[in-house]
Formats: sequence, structure tokens, C-alpha cells
Amino acid sequence: MNKKLGVLLIMSAAIISGCNNSTMEPEEINPEIDVCEVCNMSIANENYATEVVTADGEVYKFDDIGCMDEFMEREAPLKEENAAKQYVRDVDTGEWVELEKAFHAYHPDFWTPMANGVVSFKDKESAEKYVNEQGMGEVLDYESLENHEWSWEQ
Amino acid sequence: MWRLKKPFAIYIFLLFLLVPVNAFAEEFKVESGRSIQSAVEGAGNGDIILVSPGVYKENVMINKEITIKGEEGAIIDGGGKGNVIIVRASNVVLEGLTIQNSGTGQEDSGIYIKKAHHNVIKNNTLKNVQNGIYIANSNENKLLGNRIASNESHFSKRGNGIHMFKGGGHLLKENEIANVQDGIYFDFTKGIKLQGNHISESRYGMHMMFSEDILAEKNLVEKNVTGLMVMGSARIDFIENKVTDHFHFRGYGILIYETKDVLVEGNEILRNSTGLSLEYGVDTLVNRNQIAANQVGLEFMGKNENSTFSENNFIGNVVQSKIAGENMRLDDGVKGNYWDDYSSFDLSGDGVGEEAYKAGSLYDRLLRKQPYWQFFFESPSIKLWTKAEALFPSFGSADVYDARPLIEPVTMLQKTEQNSKDRRIPGMIGILFILLSILVIVKGRKLR
Repeated sequence: MNKKLGVLLIMSAAIISGCNNSTMEPEEINPEIDVCEVCNMSIANENYATEVVTADGEVYKFDDIGCMDEFMEREAPLKEENAAKQYVRDVDTGEWVELEKAFHAYHPDFWTPMANGVVSFKDKESAEKYVNEQGMGEVLDYESLENHEWSWEQ
Repeated sequence: MWRLKKPFAIYIFLLFLLVPVNAFAEEFKVESGRSIQSAVEGAGNGDIILVSPGVYKENVMINKEITIKGEEGAIIDGGGKGNVIIVRASNVVLEGLTIQNSGTGQEDSGIYIKKAHHNVIKNNTLKNVQNGIYIANSNENKLLGNRIASNESHFSKRGNGIHMFKGGGHLLKENEIANVQDGIYFDFTKGIKLQGNHISESRYGMHMMFSEDILAEKNLVEKNVTGLMVMGSARIDFIENKVTDHFHFRGYGILIYETKDVLVEGNEILRNSTGLSLEYGVDTLVNRNQIAANQVGLEFMGKNENSTFSENNFIGNVVQSKIAGENMRLDDGVKGNYWDDYSSFDLSGDGVGEEAYKAGSLYDRLLRKQPYWQFFFESPSIKLWTKAEALFPSFGSADVYDARPLIEPVTMLQKTEQNSKDRRIPGMIGILFILLSILVIVKGRKLR
């Protein structure tokens, strides 16, 4: 009897811990419900959405990559190694991409929900294609994005 | 001598001949089955093109100063590609057209105006378009009495009713906008006047991003997710509008975020999830508004500098105020506001309560950190807590108070007019009855 109870306990513990987002995967956006953690705006333009997923399973959603950057500045402990993962979406396909692996097109006149002018892509080719199509802007990778001066910092 | 002057004379004669052609605008009529675009190409500046009833399947590009008038039933159908009408010239008039089926790209619109000024877009019907009217880098256009609806999908897939990007000086009057993403979107634009527009069933009624000098008067904004969303803007005057029925989860009547110099005056803010919310506002003036029947009447978050509230009525809100911000005073030093849950007395008889009204409670701050604690709303423990807090102030919550709370609700201007009219009629009837009864009494006496 005791053994059975033990098994049950272990199983329920496993189920509970299974609910925890330990893989730090991004979560689907629900435009009906989700609002940006920083600026309160509802996330209607889903492909511009970004997310921070922390190691303890918390998911923070943003309507624009600029808001995510502002949030990370504010929550400095999350910047430590493995504390959180940052995700952006490929603007064409909506595919989630880790921020480190993504490429971005930047021009102050590119439309984004918070007018930061940074549009994200899954690879360098698509970002370059976008810049060529628009006839303006530059391509940023993770490192140049780190040094980028956001509109809200000016 | 004569020989020399002759060419000049001919030249002047020719000039006279040319002037009347320009002054008397020619009128073209486009019959059903023909192309509007070719009529535009054939026309000169100042000409008028009349469009007969019928469906015209084409995308029209206007690069001349012309007028296009649709007779009833004149429909321009973009066939689901790009913009239906592009305006690239100034002084263009578009009137009485039905414009439908634009492409679904981010900037695809019913009417797309770029670098063009002083155009008049009047009484058109736009439907099944991504954006209704998109105005980029243009000045002083007039949009009057248009009806705009986007496509039948979730608001995250739609565009905006009227989208203004840079430029400014536009007048938006009596437009009817429904079922779009954001009714009117202000994107880095300046000096806009809005009057008598009706926006409903969309995400945000008006969405102001980094815009300045906007006057919105007597508009009706209802049944959207949020009525008025203001961000990173300055000098916004919001006067005598009705903002009602924003009952969406996380919906607001008015949300003001990181904005300077806002005047909210004489509005009716009724039946919203949160009536009025301020976060990081500077120099916000809130006067003579009716803020009633909301879930939360007034909300403060973060830091708000130099906000002034006076003569507002806070009536019948489930939660009167929710304060998760910093200390603040809610009156202008002379007059405060009417709070229907104020429970002290006016001993001096000057219409102002003797004790300050304290807004918000400690619970509000906890809610900000632990949203799930909403579960304990109105529970005995929270009630006890709030009561204890009222008895022992500075228990931890921000000190937000109205030192001059009003005892009677403020009568709003529009309502007094109605009341005086209403009062006059029963008065007249009363006088009539009195005269009649005097007559009856006097006559009755005489008869005896």
C-alpha cells in the first residue's frame, strides 16, 4: 500500500514538474489576450512579437524587440548565463528564432509596433533581401544589435 | 515695328485661348465597362470625372489635380491586389465612391495617399480593405464622412481604418469606422483635428504613437478592446468625447503612457474594464469628466508627474481607483472630485468635504505583483485589511488623495441644458392645472 502511494507521489511530482517549461521553449502568442510586458500594447502584429523565457518557466511577451531590450535592461539578473532565453520571430514566416542566431534589418523608417525600426529574420539572406526590397537600411547581427542605440535610449 | 511685335501678339492671343480651357473644368463621364484609369490619363488638371454605377475592376493611380465623383452604385474593386486608389497629386477630390478589395500587404489600402496635400476624401465607402485610408508624408488633407471597414478576420490580421504616417495638419470629420485593427492610427504625425467620428468593434479606437498637437472633439468610441491609446506623444486634447463599453479582458477606456501635456475634459467614460489609466504621464489635466460604471474607474501605474484632477464625477465604479504608482494629489487645491464612496461630511457647508478622500489601497499594489490575488477580491480578509489601512494611514500603500472632495456630483454642461428643458414642460403643465383649478373653484362658487 505504502509502495503504491509512493509511486503515485513520484508520478504526480513528475507530472507537475513536466508542466514546468524546463526546455525554455517559446510560447504561442494569443493576440486576443497577450499584451506587452513593458508598454501594455496588445500583441496584434504577431510576427513582430518577442519573448523572454526564464529558466524557472516564466514567459514574458513583448510586442516589439525594443521593448524586450528595455525589459532586459531593467531585469539585469536575467542577463546572467542560462537564466533566460530571448526569442524573436522571422517576420515573414513567424518562426521563433533565438536572438543570438537571428539577423535584423534596421532603418528608423521601418514600421514596427513601437517604431524601433528593427525587423527580425531567421537568416542573413532574408534580412538582406528585405533591405534590398525597401531600398534602405542595414543588416544587424547579434553583436551589432548589442551596440545598437534604441529609440527609447535617445 | 509691327513685324517685331506680331509674334508677341500671337503669343498673347494664344495665352488667352489657353486660360479659359483651364478655368472651365471639363467634365468626363465614365460609363460602366470602361476604365477610370484611362479617363484619368485623358483628363487635365482641374477636370471632373463622373463615374456611372457599375463595378470597375482596376487599380487607379491619380497623378493630376482632378475630381472623381461616383454616382450611387459606382464601385471600384481592387481585385485583392495592392492599393485600390493611389493618390500622388495634390488638390484631388474623391467623392461618393465605393472602394473595395485591396491587397493584404501591410500597407495595402483602399485609398493610399503619399506626398500629396490639400486633398478631400468625402463620403466614400471602403470595405474589405486592409487599411482604409493611408496617408504618408502628406499635409492638410480632409477626410469627411467616409465609412470604413476592413476584412472579416481577427483584428490581428487587419489593418487600420485611417493610418497617418508623418506629415500632418489633417482634418478627420464624421467618419464611420468599424471592424478594423486600430480605428485611427497616428504615427509620428502632427496637428490633427478629429471631430464627430464614430469608431467601434476594433482593437484600439484611436492609437497615438509619437504624435503631437492632436485635438479630438465629440467623437464616439465604443466596443473596442481599448478606446484611446496614447504613447510617447505630447499635447493631446481630448474633449467631450464618449468612450464607452470597452469590456474586453485588459481593455481600457483611455490609457495614457509616457505622454506629456494631455487634457482630458468633459468626456463620458462609461462601462469600461478600466476607465482611465495613467502610466508615466507628465502634466496631465483631467477636468469635468463623467467616469462611471467601469470595473476600475481610475488607475495609476509607475510614476506620474504633475497630474491635476478636478470636478470629475466618479460614480458607480466597481473599484473606484487602483493605485500601483507613487504619491499624488488628486485635486487642484480649490476643487476636487466627486467620489460616490466618500463617507465623510461637509461641516462648513462650502460643498467640499472636511476630510481628504483616500484613493486606492494596499491591495492594489499586491495585485500588481501577484495578479492571481484578484481571487481574494472583496473577501473578508482584504476588507479588514483595507479598513485597517483607512484607520492607520501610511500602512504601505501610496499616498494618493483628494484633499477637496466634492459632496455633490458636478452637473455637466450638456446635461444641464437637457434638464432645464425638461423642467420647463412640467412647470408649464403645473401652472396650467393651477389656473384650471382656480377657474373651476371661482366658477363653481359663482354657480352656487
